[in-house]
Amino acid sequence: MVFSSLTFLYYFLPIVLIVYIFLPNRIAVPLGKEKSLVIPARNLLILLTGFFFYAWGEPFYVVIMLFSTLIDYTAGRMMDKFDDRPKIRTICLIVSVCMNIGLLAVFKYSDFIFDTVNSVFGTDITNPVILANRAINDIYNFGLSEDKVALPIGISFYTFQSMSYTIDLYLRKIKVQKSFIGFTSYVTLFPQIVAGPIVRYEDVAAEIEDRKVNIGKISEGIAKFSKGLAKKVLLANNIGIIWTEVKAMDYSQISAATAWLGILAFTFQIYFDFSGYSDMAVGLGKMLGFNFPKNFDHPYLSKSVSEFWRRWHITLGTWFREYVYIPLGGNRRGMAKTLRNLLIVWALTGLWHGASWNFVVWGLYYGILIIIERVGFGKILEKLPSAVSMLYTFLITVFGWVLFDTDSMGKAWQFFKAMFGAGGSFADSTAKYIFSSNILIFIICIFASTTIFGKLAAFLRKKKRLIYAYAVPAAVVCVMLLCTSYLVDSSYNPFLYFRF
Amino acid sequence: MLKKKKRLNLPNLITCIAFFGILIFMAVMTIVLPKQDFLEMENKYAEKLPKFSAKAVFNRTYMNKTENYISDHFAGRIGWIKARTVLETSLGKRERNGIYILDDRLVEKIPEPDYSSVDKAIAAINKFAEGNDIPVFTMIVPTSAEIYADELPENAPSADQKEFINYVYRNLSRSVNTIDVYPVMFSNRDDYIYYRTDHHWTTKGAYLAYAAAGKKMGYDPVPLELFDVEHAGIDFIGTFYSKTLYDGVEKDIMDIYHLNGEYQVTEVAVTSDFGKDPEIYESMYFREYLDKKDKYAAFLGTNVPIVEIKSENSGGKLLIIKDSYAHCYAPFLTQHYSDITLVDMRYINMSLNKVIDVSGYDQILILYNASSFMTDTDIRKLGYGQ
Repeated sequence: MVFSSLTFLYYFLPIVLIVYIFLPNRIAVPLGKEKSLVIPARNLLILLTGFFFYAWGEPFYVVIMLFSTLIDYTAGRMMDKFDDRPKIRTICLIVSVCMNIGLLAVFKYSDFIFDTVNSVFGTDITNPVILANRAINDIYNFGLSEDKVALPIGISFYTFQSMSYTIDLYLRKIKVQKSFIGFTSYVTLFPQIVAGPIVRYEDVAAEIEDRKVNIGKISEGIAKFSKGLAKKVLLANNIGIIWTEVKAMDYSQISAATAWLGILAFTFQIYFDFSGYSDMAVGLGKMLGFNFPKNFDHPYLSKSVSEFWRRWHITLGTWFREYVYIPLGGNRRGMAKTLRNLLIVWALTGLWHGASWNFVVWGLYYGILIIIERVGFGKILEKLPSAVSMLYTFLITVFGWVLFDTDSMGKAWQFFKAMFGAGGSFADSTAKYIFSSNILIFIICIFASTTIFGKLAAFLRKKKRLIYAYAVPAAVVCVMLLCTSYLVDSSYNPFLYFRF
Repeated sequence: MLKKKKRLNLPNLITCIAFFGILIFMAVMTIVLPKQDFLEMENKYAEKLPKFSAKAVFNRTYMNKTENYISDHFAGRIGWIKARTVLETSLGKRERNGIYILDDRLVEKIPEPDYSSVDKAIAAINKFAEGNDIPVFTMIVPTSAEIYADELPENAPSADQKEFINYVYRNLSRSVNTIDVYPVMFSNRDDYIYYRTDHHWTTKGAYLAYAAAGKKMGYDPVPLELFDVEHAGIDFIGTFYSKTLYDGVEKDIMDIYHLNGEYQVTEVAVTSDFGKDPEIYESMYFREYLDKKDKYAAFLGTNVPIVEIKSENSGGKLLIIKDSYAHCYAPFLTQHYSDITLVDMRYINMSLNKVIDVSGYDQILILYNASSFMTDTDIRKLGYGQ
């Protein structure tokens, strides 16, 4: 299920929330004298609804999520039980990490690996996962994909989350979760299961045990959720149509202006879509009593590439820093090791976004730029006027999106050429029409990428308390009505993270 | 000691009540309001509530259909869509669901044709014309998007139909007689020759083409003055309206042209399914459709494989290979032919000769509008068995 659908908004969400609000954290069922069974009611509800939410989109692969959860939970319990046996603890960690990486390797990267091997060695090996799918289809007729491995939605998010638990437990940063319901509710927590943010166990450990829900938190969550919904449905979907059109064109024929408008449209689409999803997740979390970490902080205002990545998909950056970069030695083992570590982290970050060379190149592109900034260019950037360094960073990001979303390196190269006029003309009638019919949405997106609305809200909150107080419910109602009208007739409402 | 009273934050309470209020109200209304099987305004069938089965769940059709069901039956669906159209047009957007919104009409956004596909249709027509020793005529009618191209939003992409029609006519072999109606349509563009809210031409538009084709096809067209015009369909809102639900364009009027005292139609035989006997009607005008949304179907009904019109006239027999533009065109021809057979190639999946005896006709007319000819993949079936 996706948040931006009528089914989720009007049925799943109100039913789950209302039951949830009136449920206590725990219910004690008396069993005879002095004995009672304590049911963690809210966690159980989160677990069940999370499964339903996930299975709605992945009715078959929900088994994989359950399997992964079971292994990580058991690994956690074993580590706790053999607290004084370092070897067993290490084995537990290795099992958990290998299992999670293994799931990613099989379900996300196996096609990519076999395609690469086949094209390098001229072989024709069929991916065993495909063979397995065919065998299962022969028996059960599930309609599993027989030519490409279908990526289970959100697998990159929940495997990374589960790993944060076992790794931190191994490092003794957190306490073990003894309740299976408690641990599973962390993994299946529906607000963040399909598109992040990557909530580490540490972030919510206390709230899994005990959390409070009140009108203040719920209304705060509603406001955040509405903001995210508006970003996704009103901004991202509307500007995304432009990119969908341009992306399908023949890059050798398009004018430079068309190419620029197209990729700028994607630049805004991916930001508002992704940060919109994160906002919705954070908002839903609030309504349920959780505090998820911030995932985006106006990234297009960054003055360097390093800063951009501190403000874009923050939880992913944190994850790679905590569990890859620092364990590799970070920047404390000399220049050569630091550079190596950066390249590894960025190649992996790229690959995390999808199994294709485009993503690897995209990741390394950022890795190299960050290294360049580290060895001195960053100092120069700091001295430049902020308009210049912001424009530099923005353009770098825009070029990055070409690598990210053109499907193959050959197409990316063609698109780059089109951006610099290889299509013949600077601006043809197509570009003029795209520009004149979408100028308003571009302007709105530009303003919405800045802190201007945040500053306005902060001003009202401070100086005009009353106006601010009532502006929130008014805005929520407007967003709900507008988004509903866009969702009822949604010919274009894509889910962009199916490759993550 | 007085207990400190907890201050209730009113705006927060309003936020919660408003949010959940909207959600619950709409969700409940959607469930309780009566459901329609056919969404008439949008001219499409609504999704049915899916049946639960393990297979439907595992291949996700159950979920997809449930989502479509909720969306199709969502309370106030038409109102929500209209609100969006009003909002967007008031913000200056002139395009919606592949339709351009002009000042006083809606026209279709027609993408550039795929010429390799068009060439196949042309080749099939050539093969068909050469394989049958009967005069073949082709008429490709420009649509309103071409005739009113100058009213489109600035720089709006739209295929050049005039160029397209010329391309087709140039590539048809000499055994095909081409009838160019672009000049007559364009010079009468100030007249009411296309519907404002539908993709068809009006009866007047069809008349102009009929009159212009007379010379080539060898008949003297009946003068316009002799017809009694009946405004049969009032407040007609067509397919373009269905796609936009835009109320800013005046509704259409659908006319029927009557010719009293002249040759009358004796029988209209409609074959909707092969292998079944045709249904016989007395009139070309199916008046029950005049009270429905799809009023254009009053001309010879909806699209079916074969319609045969017999009239008192003693003229020749005419075969029309056509799209729905022919439906309001064919009535004029009953003054010149004893027997007119209309064939819709979409439903013919074998050699045409197996369905009807082509050699029994005196003339063959291939009549399409340019937009449907551009994307059609069924005309190429004319080449079968030739």
